Amino acid sequence: MAFFESAKPIRVDGGILARRRRGSIGEEWWSRRFIDLLEAFADTGRLQRGRAYARQGQVLRLDIRPYEVTAIVQGSRPEPYEVTLGLQAIDGWDAIEEELSRRAVFRARLLAGEMPREIEQVFDACGVALFPEHADDLALMCSCPDWGTPCKHAAAALYLLAEAFDDDPFLILAWNGRARDDLLTALRRRPLTPEPGEDEDDDPLTAEDFWTPPSGLAALRDRPPVPTTPPGLLLQLLDPPDIKIRRRQLADVLLPLYVALAADGPEESTE
Amino acid sequence: MLVAHATWHGGALCLWAEHDGPRTGRGSVHPFATADFSGTSYAGLVRGAPRVVLDLILPSTADHPLPSAELGPEPFEGEPGLAVWRVPALVLDPFPAMTLLRSAEGQADVVPGTDLRYLALLAAEVADLVRRGRVLPALVREDGDPAARWRPVPDPARFRTLAAAMPPACRAVAPGRPASTVLREALDGLTDTTVRGSAPHPLLPERKGDVPDHIPLAERWFEALTGPDPSIRREPHDSAADLEAELDAWYRSALPATGPLRLTFRLTEPPPPAASVTAPVPPAGEAAVLGPQHGEPDDEPAWRVEFLLQGADDPSLLVPAADVWSGEALLEGAEEALLAGLGRALRVFPELSKALDGAAPSGLPLDTAGAFRFLRQAAPLLAAAGFGVFLPSWAGKAKLGLKLKAEEEEQDQDGAATSSGFGLTSLIDFRWELAVGEETIEEDELAELARLKTPLVRLRGQWVELDDEQLEAALTFLRHGRSGTMTAGQVVRAVIHAGEQSLPLVAVEAKGSLGDLLSGEADRRIRPMPTPAGIEATLRPYQERGLAWLAFMDGLGLGSLLADDMGLGKTLTLLAHLVQARPSDPAARRPTLVVVPMSLVGNWQREAARFAPKLSIHVHHGTRRHRQNELLRAATAADLVLTTYGTASRDAGELAQVPWARVVCDEAQALKNSSTRQAKAVRSIPAGSRIALTGTPVENHLTELWSLMEFANPGLLGPKKAFRERFAVPIEAEGDEQAALELKRATQPFILRRLKTDKSIITDLPEKQEMKEFCHLTVEQASLYQATVEDMLEQIAEADDKQRRGLVLATMAKLKQVCNHPAHFLKDGSRLPGRSGKLTRLEEICGEVMEAGEKILVFTQYAEFGSMLQPYLAARLDRPVLWLHGGTSKQHRDDLVQRFQEDAEPSVFLLSLKAAGTGLTLTAANHVVHVDRWWNPAVEDQATDRAFRIGQKKNVQVRKFICAGTLEEKVDEMIERKKSLADSIVGTGEEWLTDLSVAELRDVLRLSPEAVAG
Repeated sequence: MAFFESAKPIRVDGGILARRRRGSIGEEWWSRRFIDLLEAFADTGRLQRGRAYARQGQVLRLDIRPYEVTAIVQGSRPEPYEVTLGLQAIDGWDAIEEELSRRAVFRARLLAGEMPREIEQVFDACGVALFPEHADDLALMCSCPDWGTPCKHAAAALYLLAEAFDDDPFLILAWNGRARDDLLTALRRRPLTPEPGEDEDDDPLTAEDFWTPPSGLAALRDRPPVPTTPPGLLLQLLDPPDIKIRRRQLADVLLPLYVALAADGPEESTE
Repeated sequence: MLVAHATWHGGALCLWAEHDGPRTGRGSVHPFATADFSGTSYAGLVRGAPRVVLDLILPSTADHPLPSAELGPEPFEGEPGLAVWRVPALVLDPFPAMTLLRSAEGQADVVPGTDLRYLALLAAEVADLVRRGRVLPALVREDGDPAARWRPVPDPARFRTLAAAMPPACRAVAPGRPASTVLREALDGLTDTTVRGSAPHPLLPERKGDVPDHIPLAERWFEALTGPDPSIRREPHDSAADLEAELDAWYRSALPATGPLRLTFRLTEPPPPAASVTAPVPPAGEAAVLGPQHGEPDDEPAWRVEFLLQGADDPSLLVPAADVWSGEALLEGAEEALLAGLGRALRVFPELSKALDGAAPSGLPLDTAGAFRFLRQAAPLLAAAGFGVFLPSWAGKAKLGLKLKAEEEEQDQDGAATSSGFGLTSLIDFRWELAVGEETIEEDELAELARLKTPLVRLRGQWVELDDEQLEAALTFLRHGRSGTMTAGQVVRAVIHAGEQSLPLVAVEAKGSLGDLLSGEADRRIRPMPTPAGIEATLRPYQERGLAWLAFMDGLGLGSLLADDMGLGKTLTLLAHLVQARPSDPAARRPTLVVVPMSLVGNWQREAARFAPKLSIHVHHGTRRHRQNELLRAATAADLVLTTYGTASRDAGELAQVPWARVVCDEAQALKNSSTRQAKAVRSIPAGSRIALTGTPVENHLTELWSLMEFANPGLLGPKKAFRERFAVPIEAEGDEQAALELKRATQPFILRRLKTDKSIITDLPEKQEMKEFCHLTVEQASLYQATVEDMLEQIAEADDKQRRGLVLATMAKLKQVCNHPAHFLKDGSRLPGRSGKLTRLEEICGEVMEAGEKILVFTQYAEFGSMLQPYLAARLDRPVLWLHGGTSKQHRDDLVQRFQEDAEPSVFLLSLKAAGTGLTLTAANHVVHVDRWWNPAVEDQATDRAFRIGQKKNVQVRKFICAGTLEEKVDEMIERKKSLADSIVGTGEEWLTDLSVAELRDVLRLSPEAVAG
């Protein structure tokens, strides 16, 4: 064992360098949380060496895919090691998406490049851990001969992963099985609010006042004035759908139609 | 007669009608329903529509369906039930349905039922949504096949309002359908057809060169969005699910989240620069442009757009974003509402992203140019996108514009004009200036502004928007001649027509009579005229001012609109005007033509006779009216000629031969549609001057205002089309305050409108005004009346004392019913409109009260008449009509009272005198009508006091209906004559009548010839 531990890694150029040269890695709360949890259950010595590896740029590649991050780490042998950071597949995504779509703030913050703190509670409530909390939650594999968990190569990959999370919190979710676009599409497709009026129970028909409306029609006729707006404002206000017509965005192709609708002019008042 | 009904079912409009012909059908077939519109104005609109039979749930008695309110409500005993009837109907696809709905209400020969009028209202709603682009394309399944359809994006609150207001008749297809479903289907169908009607097709250019074998589904779907055919061309291996889901998601994201908090933006101006604002005003001639621009560049004013959260239900709840971040605002979901809102707002206001760099955005600092961009570009978009927007009070108002200064020329030449001789031909010195608000801007100031080239400038402590276009217009303006002389008439026209979009007329300054006229406060500035001799009444102070105003306008040869609130005595004021304007030399007298609705002829006759007995009146109306020379002779011999709108329009040519001093139109809203025959006819009668009387708030209906002005001062407001474009559309559709101000300035010289509620003017109005409304009988009523009287006189000769008593009372009751309505007397469920003078008058009064946004109590002593009136009035007025009678349960009674007292919407409360005479508090009403008389003042007063009670903050007007020339008038006179005896005689109700002799009875019951008008 001592042989491996004392061996110096082969220095490489062009590896991924950890940005934080000193202290702990992880600037945002979510990457901090990830590291904190990690440091709580993993071997501290190996983690420290892994962090040093990360700062030296020993990690050559980092690929994040659903439930699996793969990394290439240059160790002390000429052949770089292959590291895999695996997670348990989540089968509760439906429930999580349902919960996330309930509150617009998740989408708003995720879109703004932030990971809302409450998101962890949402995962919790669905019985799913957003971050690995125990050694068992992580399936670490490395082609190195070290049987420790994690080995310093995996640790280096984990630290760089944390830094990647800093830049793009969606990667946490991507690692957890949902790539950014899939997630946003799924959230968008869930109704935020019930269809208007759908939830209202109708009064049963009665003979009384059958021919007259419950309140006078006259009150309905007074529509409040609406300031004029450019045609197609609605297209501009909405997240454009991911639909292309002859390689152009649907909203762009539709705009002339909205201009034509507006040009039909206000209704002549019926006299 | 046909009453057309409709519902939306199966993606199409189902149209049917009730007819008043003989009833047929047996079993479950509706006995008076038809789908046959041939020979009516609907025939062309429904041509080729397939026929179906619908099962409709309708209110019914044991063996037949009850007619709708429009056909004529049928009196019935007990509670009606619901039953299913087979009804023939025409099926109109959305396109013809839209056409029908857009013209259904304008037809004279088919009466649209409330259900059809509701759907017509939806058609207008859809047209508005489509024009505003509140629609999105969708992919839907129709019988399993994918189709391209347009869907509306209504405001959810509006959708709920519309669903809640749907008449049950629209949901009648068995087994009864939910309002929201019917509403959504109707909106969907009408929206799709409307978009297709307006959208260009095809929208994509033709493919050039080789058309690929496979065209993507999205493109085929897109092609089906326009043109008549919504079906999507099929190709093998199509899978529409993804496209459908994506479009559905898009549609859902368009429905605004209905949270309790909404994001609101507030533009705040920089604090005034301490030094320059407190500096003394520069001496004249020196540039007076003060502003931060004078300072160093780093003094760039700190404009700011603040973010706030506003309660959706409670707009007074306003929380600055800073409080949200600091955690001081203990509002659930506040951060989320704020962030989600900012995320959405970013799309229309990209500059916002600068504010979102920080962790806790609370506002966006802007420079002056940025503030201007926010005002002009972002603010309207944000408001349209559903955000709250608060702008400084000067925004959109404090504009650079024109100011007209006008002063009467010194009259020193030949003495033709005296100080009191101001007229439209008087010469006026005028000068045009540039101004902001009332403040004149000098040329050098403008030059300085032009040099600064900023769109927002602080001018004498006041921020002013000044874009390039305006500046350009102002500079051009300065190059033209700006002063000279014109006539007063030209000044009046200039005030109406001067100014344009870029350089509006913002102020007018004039002195003397011209100033009085233009200010719109002439009535307050000129000396009130005391009650003229010959008027048997004392004018109230505001009536004296009204009289002086009419005289002032008449003297100028200008037409006027006297638009005082109903009940302020416009008739009396006008009579006083006629009396005081009447020359003492009989040879110089010329008659005045007064055009009134037929229902008011009797009232006018009586009021003129009572208040101005010296005026000679001629009534030109009825089949025996004078023609040609006879008319000319009778008219010129009279002071006042009364006629109706109908007669005036038939006899316009003959009436035009009379040299009228003036033409007066009472209830002039009858002219609101300027293109009708009667409006044209009345306008065509030449007159020295014209006066329109109306009690409806003219400012609410701009095309109506134009029509009234066109009558009073032909041509002065310019062509109707130009008026619509400049005023009606901006004000009514867009809420343009600037245009509203300009219109007010243009029309205020001609309109005198005082409100009952304006205590600064109406100081002396009694808290309770009682009026008698004299109504006429229709020919039908008169013949029924006559027959009833004759019948009684025949029988009474052979009756003993006891029989006689019963006979008299029964006859009294029958006659009162005839006076109410023939259908009330006949109890045959026949139709209501046009058959009773009282009903016509009641509709008019209720209509005016609703128009004024007020509430009215209507008392009748006959529950059966009330149950006929209720659905009828509800349909005619399109306002809630509550009905309380002896059979109303305690619980329902309390509900009705609470609804009437608390609802903001104007409404009618119909009450049976016996059931509601005591105990209730209905102070929300400030009008009371007694449709029929109990002849017991104590009982009537007690009923009246429902409205006139502690808690009443307005003046109450009480109208008692009396059919002129009938027993109602005779008995009323007897009561008035024997007022002292009234209590002892009349206190017992109607019993005393039974003691009259046959001769006396004959006299009381006899029908006077003037009873019938028509």
